[in-house]
Amino acid sequence: MLTAHPGLPEFDYIKPKTLAEASAFLAEHSKDARIFVGGTDVFVRMRDGFWKEKYLVDVKGLEGMKSVSFDPRAGLTIGAAVNMNQIAESAEVKAHYPLLAEAAHSVASFQLRSRATIAGNICNASPAGDTIGAGMVFGGSLSVHGVGGFRREPLDGFFLGPGRTQLQAGDVVTAVHLPLPPKGAAGKYIKLGRNNIGDLAIIGVTALGWRDGETPSGYRFRIALASVAPVPLVPVAAEKILAEKPITDAVIAEAANAAMEAATPIDDVRGSARYRKLMVRNLTKQAVAEVWGRIQ
Amino acid sequence: MAYHRITTTINGATDVVDVPSNMTLLQMLRDKLALTGTKNGCAAGECGACTVLFNGEAVNSCMVLAVEADGADIVTVEGLAHDSQLDPLQELFVSEGAVQCGFCIPGMLISARALLDRRPNPADHDIRDALSGNLCRCTGYVRIIKAVKEAAKRGHAEPA
Amino acid sequence: MADNKQSANDGGRIPDVIGESVIRLDAREKAIGATQFADDFQFGPGLLYARILRSPHPHALIKKIDVSKAKALPGVKAIVTGDETPGFIGLYLQDRHIFCRDRARYVGDPVAGVAAVDEETAEKALELIEVEYEPLPGVFDPEFGVGPDAPLLHPDLGQYEVVNFVFPKPGTNISNHFKIRRGDADLAWAQCAAIVEKKYRVPHIQHVPIEPHVAVAKWDEGDNITLWGSSQSPFAQRNLIAKALGLSQSKIQVIAPVVGGGFGSKAGVSMEALAVVIAKAVKGRPVKLRLTREEEFFTTFVRQGLVAHFKMGCDKEGRLLAMENTYYWDAGAYTEYGVNMTRAGGYSGTGPYDVPNVKVDSICVYTNHPVGGPMRGFGMPELHSGLEQCVDDLAHHIGIDPVEFRQLNCIRGGDTVATGMTMHPIGLPECIDRVAKDIGWGKKSQPSAPNKRRGKGIAMMWKAPAMPPNAGSSAQITLSEDGTVTVALGGQEIGQGTFTVMAQMAAAALGVPYDWVKVATPVDTKYSPYEWQTVASRLTWSMGNAVVAAAKDARQQILDLAAEAWDEDPDNLDIVNGNVISYKTEESMPLKNMVIYGLPNPKGDGWIGKPVLGRGSFMPTYVTGLDAETGQGPRAVVHYTTGAQAVEVEVDMDTGRVEVLRAAAAFDMGKAINPEMVKAQMEGGLVQGISTALFEALKLKNGVVTNPSFVDYRIATTADVPHELFSEIVEVPQDDGPWGARGIGEHSMVPTIPAVANAIFDAVGIRMESPPYSSEKVYLAMMDAGIVK
Repeated sequence: MLTAHPGLPEFDYIKPKTLAEASAFLAEHSKDARIFVGGTDVFVRMRDGFWKEKYLVDVKGLEGMKSVSFDPRAGLTIGAAVNMNQIAESAEVKAHYPLLAEAAHSVASFQLRSRATIAGNICNASPAGDTIGAGMVFGGSLSVHGVGGFRREPLDGFFLGPGRTQLQAGDVVTAVHLPLPPKGAAGKYIKLGRNNIGDLAIIGVTALGWRDGETPSGYRFRIALASVAPVPLVPVAAEKILAEKPITDAVIAEAANAAMEAATPIDDVRGSARYRKLMVRNLTKQAVAEVWGRIQ
Repeated sequence: MAYHRITTTINGATDVVDVPSNMTLLQMLRDKLALTGTKNGCAAGECGACTVLFNGEAVNSCMVLAVEADGADIVTVEGLAHDSQLDPLQELFVSEGAVQCGFCIPGMLISARALLDRRPNPADHDIRDALSGNLCRCTGYVRIIKAVKEAAKRGHAEPA
Repeated sequence: MADNKQSANDGGRIPDVIGESVIRLDAREKAIGATQFADDFQFGPGLLYARILRSPHPHALIKKIDVSKAKALPGVKAIVTGDETPGFIGLYLQDRHIFCRDRARYVGDPVAGVAAVDEETAEKALELIEVEYEPLPGVFDPEFGVGPDAPLLHPDLGQYEVVNFVFPKPGTNISNHFKIRRGDADLAWAQCAAIVEKKYRVPHIQHVPIEPHVAVAKWDEGDNITLWGSSQSPFAQRNLIAKALGLSQSKIQVIAPVVGGGFGSKAGVSMEALAVVIAKAVKGRPVKLRLTREEEFFTTFVRQGLVAHFKMGCDKEGRLLAMENTYYWDAGAYTEYGVNMTRAGGYSGTGPYDVPNVKVDSICVYTNHPVGGPMRGFGMPELHSGLEQCVDDLAHHIGIDPVEFRQLNCIRGGDTVATGMTMHPIGLPECIDRVAKDIGWGKKSQPSAPNKRRGKGIAMMWKAPAMPPNAGSSAQITLSEDGTVTVALGGQEIGQGTFTVMAQMAAAALGVPYDWVKVATPVDTKYSPYEWQTVASRLTWSMGNAVVAAAKDARQQILDLAAEAWDEDPDNLDIVNGNVISYKTEESMPLKNMVIYGLPNPKGDGWIGKPVLGRGSFMPTYVTGLDAETGQGPRAVVHYTTGAQAVEVEVDMDTGRVEVLRAAAAFDMGKAINPEMVKAQMEGGLVQGISTALFEALKLKNGVVTNPSFVDYRIATTADVPHELFSEIVEVPQDDGPWGARGIGEHSMVPTIPAVANAIFDAVGIRMESPPYSSEKVYLAMMDAGIVK
């Protein structure tokens, strides 16, 4: 039985002045401190009584957290406190990573997107995270400040399970990096919710495709699936089919079937495993076909 | 639990308020400052009844800590009108019949104001998108959407 | 006092303000955030906060409650349990203790209440209360609940106090069984050329007012109770709480500001009584109880679930010959209100059809689900949901177009309905025509994409105000020195616009401009005239009659005074635009001052007249009882409002998603006092109906609601609203309605579910057992039918 409380439980609000201070505090209170930026997940879980931290550490005031920058050689850097609306509206993101803008725009409501961040979406490691797929198909990574200083964490391998990641006590994600997209790439995010806008994904399909002279098919696709496994799922077999076989409608259908086979969803209040698997097939097919139509 | 003294500008006036760490901006507005125009409908960021402008951006005030409002500029429904001159959105919500029980209206107006501020000529889908986080159970949204469209048309006459 | 049988339109001419879409009188205040809702009242630092400990078990005996640790917590002022509430509460059947005593019957049943200095402390205290439960097997399906293997949920059913039109069956889980036996259905089947027989289910849903329930109670040393709350039923609350606590009604004052969305969830008594009982333990201090959204979903009234069995048949010309419908209402742990939904579902159980042979059984069943209460439509959306699908199927079987089939069989003025009552004049046939035309019936439109299919569906409805036969209304009119008017009334503004409509009626009946009229708010049982409840879409008609009577009473006093002053016959005088005028002498005099101070005596010294005070009341006196075995009687209800909706949907064959592209609604509300507000009701009801058709269900698993939040209980947003809507007003006047008016509030969502279902059937040829027609349900149904692979 859900017993949400009228308000938030008691905690102390901590606002560190430097990253070093933040990491030290978080490491020292590894059991009872939690980092937050937008708070859209943290507050809800605390109000529901799932999380009971004594300290909430607000890191969004730290240097560099609020900027978006695009470098034509290195790609995109999104500060960890940049909100989803800024991403969805950013001219540079829309120009070079429209897929990411699309995914960011699909999150919840405008008001929540004013607070929610891509870094937060990634760190929460919900299998349903809308923007995680974009991060993965672009081969993104995170800048992480820990007690030992800065390091990079690739998103590939970052997710360990629902809510579980490679992050350690004291770690503060400061930015999300996306490398330059492959030349001529096109992408698509299809989110299936229960109503038109604002729902969590029953499933989500992110697809990115581009011409690639090194593959037998002449193309390469990256696909990521949301809400169909304990972690955001890359259906490798499907990607392989699209790289190896000359692309036709039938090959796209075959790849979509492979994506369905890879998915291991559960039954929950948002949808059944059976439906989710079928939707992985149908929407992977749709997403790949649309991308294929744009890159041929 | 720690208390924090914050300085915040609400509807153009600066206030100094002592708030505990776990107080939300919504609780501060309603319970500390008696600005009860902002409504509590779910306390979970889902219904939009508590929407306010936070440094010009629409947020759910139940999903913001009061302490985070230190130094911020907040506008609530009580701050939409200036010198008893209603915001055109308010005028049109009234004249288009967009108000029924009225409980969602403060949040709805704030979301609509934020939309027109960033996009003075929104398309129909922009309006639906921008207001999709404000639940209304009475109106079916039809007249709300219409009122926002009309307000956009009159946009040039609006106060800055 | 004005008489009961009144017609507002003396002389036949309808005043301009009747039928004029004036601006709502409450809109401006609401749009500037100044309107005070119940949670906005300020009570100062003495205010205490209450929280409720609730049963985690759907069915359990309560063996022991230990509050000692909780009581010791600093800041806790009082803890109450069922020990404090030996009395019973309930509107039609008194089957509920305010706090449960020996037994908990649903997940959420209140077991103990805490008053503390703040909500956090109260919450902490809840965790310290120790309760020993003995879990019992539960009832989670009404058909199982009436069977021999079901555990008995109310062993004392036979001892409960009950009104004389509800028939509980002690020793079972049946708290009411309403029957219609008319003609001989068993014989008629042999004459049918086509028969449809089908079972449908309707899930529980929630009203989801955006304003959660809130109540503040104060109990003083003299045992006078003040209750502030968001309420559709301040007078019923006064009455029921007084009875449950063994107090005089005069001891309770209920103050009810405007309601932030009701839809039935704030009718009768739910959580308010908890606040009152807790306040008794901290006399002198106000105690506030406000529910979280999560509590809102499973501890306030829900719309009852329904399992319905339909059988209907027609001859080869398509004339309905027989109907045999059985409704099992999943009414939840307490059916104090639900028994009357069962009754309404019974007497209206044929839908708006003219059928000679009828057998209806409407059975109210206790289950261990959340408590069923009234919700917009009061049983009608549930029963029409399957019924209107069966009618469509029957039309298809016999080879007649569904619109034509409905025209052929719909009830018309002068027909005898299944309970034996003669139908008054209604505009249902015209409603059908209007929506069919608006939606482009018979024309297929092109889908927006190759993987989509389109379809159109129609459904119609009827609904009567379901209430005791003698539910009354009253009103009072006073005037200020400047001639402006205040209407005091006891009906509630819950968003439907009733205050505006009452002001229009008062202005029209008195002869003053609309903007001279104010409504005395908040409704306060100590000062406001009596009103039964703000439910049943009855206010425009019933309270309207009372307000018109009060205005006419005041008008007569004014005319008599002017007649005496001018030495004229009052029949030659009128009040127009706030002035008394004489048609004979063309003399004119403003209302101001004279309505308070009277006038100088024209015959010499002194004064004539006195402060004008208009009184009016109304109560239907003609509703008769119905035979318990046959459901027959001369007049089951006051009247029926009828109407129809048609929709066009598009089904996505890849996902199953259904989108309602356009929708048309037409209802006969007798007379639209404020046409734009009537249309606003039609729009709001339609979208709420679409939301229930596509998205909404309380997901219950062994009595536990698994989706008690907006995250997982989705309701329609701006993005789900059809892009094209038609709202049609049909006016066939009600003989005893003010200017012919009947209600329209609830009706607007009654036919939506079956209209959508029929459109889905038209698009892809599938029928599903129950709404919501979620993309998952539609896709898997298409899969199982081999329509998609």
